[in-house]
Amino acid sequence: MAELLLDPDIRIWVFLPIVVLTFLIGIVRHYLSILISSPKKIELQQMQDSQALIRARLLRENGKYLPQQGFAMRKHFFNNEDVGFFKTQKRAPVAQNPMTDPNMMTEMLKGNLTNVLPMILIGGWINWTFSGFVTTKVPFPLTLRFKPMLQRGIELLSLDAAWVSSASWYFLNVFGLRSIYALVLGENNAADQARLMAEQMQGPAAAMPQDPKAAFKAEWEALEVCEHRWALRHAETELLGPGLTQGETIYHQNMVS
Amino acid sequence: MASGKVRAKVDKASGDTVMYNDVAVRSNSAVIEYCRTSMAALGGSTAGILGFTGLYGFLFFLLCNVTLWLLLLLKAGISWNRFFVSRRSLLTSGLFSGMFTYVLFWVFLFGMVHVY
Amino acid sequence: MRSCTSDRYVAERYRRWREDNSRNSDLIVQLWEEVLCAKVDKLGDEKWMVLEQVAVAALDLHKMTVAEDCLVMLSKQFPGSQRVRKLKALRLEALERYEDANDVYDAILRKDETNTVVRKRKIAILKSLGKTSEAIRELVEYLKKFMSDTEAWMELSDLYISEQDYAKAAYCMEELLLHNPHHHLYFQKYADIKYTQGGFDNVEVARSYYSRAVKLSSANNMRALYGLLLCCSQIANSPKAQAQKKKENTKIGQWAAQCISDKYREASGSEDNQPVEQLLGALTLS
Repeated sequence: MAELLLDPDIRIWVFLPIVVLTFLIGIVRHYLSILISSPKKIELQQMQDSQALIRARLLRENGKYLPQQGFAMRKHFFNNEDVGFFKTQKRAPVAQNPMTDPNMMTEMLKGNLTNVLPMILIGGWINWTFSGFVTTKVPFPLTLRFKPMLQRGIELLSLDAAWVSSASWYFLNVFGLRSIYALVLGENNAADQARLMAEQMQGPAAAMPQDPKAAFKAEWEALEVCEHRWALRHAETELLGPGLTQGETIYHQNMVS
Repeated sequence: MASGKVRAKVDKASGDTVMYNDVAVRSNSAVIEYCRTSMAALGGSTAGILGFTGLYGFLFFLLCNVTLWLLLLLKAGISWNRFFVSRRSLLTSGLFSGMFTYVLFWVFLFGMVHVY
Repeated sequence: MRSCTSDRYVAERYRRWREDNSRNSDLIVQLWEEVLCAKVDKLGDEKWMVLEQVAVAALDLHKMTVAEDCLVMLSKQFPGSQRVRKLKALRLEALERYEDANDVYDAILRKDETNTVVRKRKIAILKSLGKTSEAIRELVEYLKKFMSDTEAWMELSDLYISEQDYAKAAYCMEELLLHNPHHHLYFQKYADIKYTQGGFDNVEVARSYYSRAVKLSSANNMRALYGLLLCCSQIANSPKAQAQKKKENTKIGQWAAQCISDKYREASGSEDNQPVEQLLGALTLS
């Protein structure tokens, strides 16, 4: 492997600044997003829907702990053809276009402001300022396939794949520092843009169903096929162990212990 | 009346139902994650300064992980099952995210010390 | 140096109480007056949480001066906050100016209709005025909207019990069982209600739930053990039960009685358990 001699100035003026900058930008982004984010306004209707869905889900999961009658009563409440909650509550399908909702627009704008914009700006700036440097070498051999990934901005065929260009070093930092942010800023921080992005994709689906009509239908179906099997039918037997049929021994055992 | 949500899981070996406090389990795993990240960062820095290359670096990472695992078990003591669901997942969970941090720090300090 | 560690320790205890939702009002106020009051500025951002906590505790104990000090500090820091407004309304409640408090709550609700705490406060006012039936009606309305609010279900259950409407109280307890089916106190309370409701079938249901409560508490819940004993003896003595069932119930009852007297022996530390066993015998025969 042909050894390459790098100017030590690159270390001080390119290699180190990229690390420090990426880290500090992450911190700043965290506080900035705290600063401009506003608490989400929740509609009463949405709240009711999500709570009803939670209750129905719990009924499916834990209904076995209720007596037959209690389970049937609740199933009737949710699923009855005429008066059931899921049948009578009609929700309009959600408007598909978020542009019609000005609230959503500002939220999206704010999200972009803290996530995408700095990403593009800083990335572009770093690319422009520190372009064309070979910054470092990874201490393990890599195949040629990694060349376009690690040597962005340098088109040299003869260069070994282990060398890293400045632009790629920046991206390595962006992704690698993620867990360090969790360490420094605590969980659920906003600097972790990748996770934030993923959350944006799903929306806050876990808390609020995006489309209550569809969610109601799904829950109705799930509850419809759910049968009641009382978990406490053998509660006493479980308690006393299989020796219930030979009561004398139980009594005796307890006396000894 | 109730503190924290409780989750039940059936133990395969004995067939018994074991109860877990969901909040406690989550906070425990958060603490473990914290340890893991610190370990990855420190281990990566060590590897970089010592100038490990190639396979040795990755072996060192595994060594660090096993050491951390043993230390955690030592800390938990005999009653480890009061704190963790399984001992093996303590070693294996989050191995790859830790690897990312490790490699970054390794490359960084290797670059700072040995390349120039 | 001692004071430095102690005020950190107090803050730690406060935090734990906040997380557990424990009441402990007297301790909170006492610690506040003795330790934290002078050093509250050292706490940083946590200060405001502590102030809120102390204000509520002080109102609970009717220590108006302490509460007002906290409220003044809070409203200086957060002038337009709904949360501080709620605290002020709480103060009005403590002064028994329920009308005014209600007005404030209504105003908050007009701004944010999903504020569950304020909605529940309004119901609490009805309860403290002794209008139980109205409180029940409001709470039912509330639960139609917020169906998975366990606190509210619990309260409704208690209200129904005070009205002796046990069937409905049982329904509310069932809701709590759905939310946390591994908590022995819920099982025990549900069984209590079912047992009180009476009737052969209900007592049988109660017996199952008592046994579950005993199992979940590893036989440490005395009330559940007694409940189990009573249920079994009642079923065993009932003319409706078949011979097989009578035998089975007698055995379970014996087991429960044995557990109870073991517990007493453990607690008293003496071998002589004659009085307890006699009393238990009296309980079973009746």
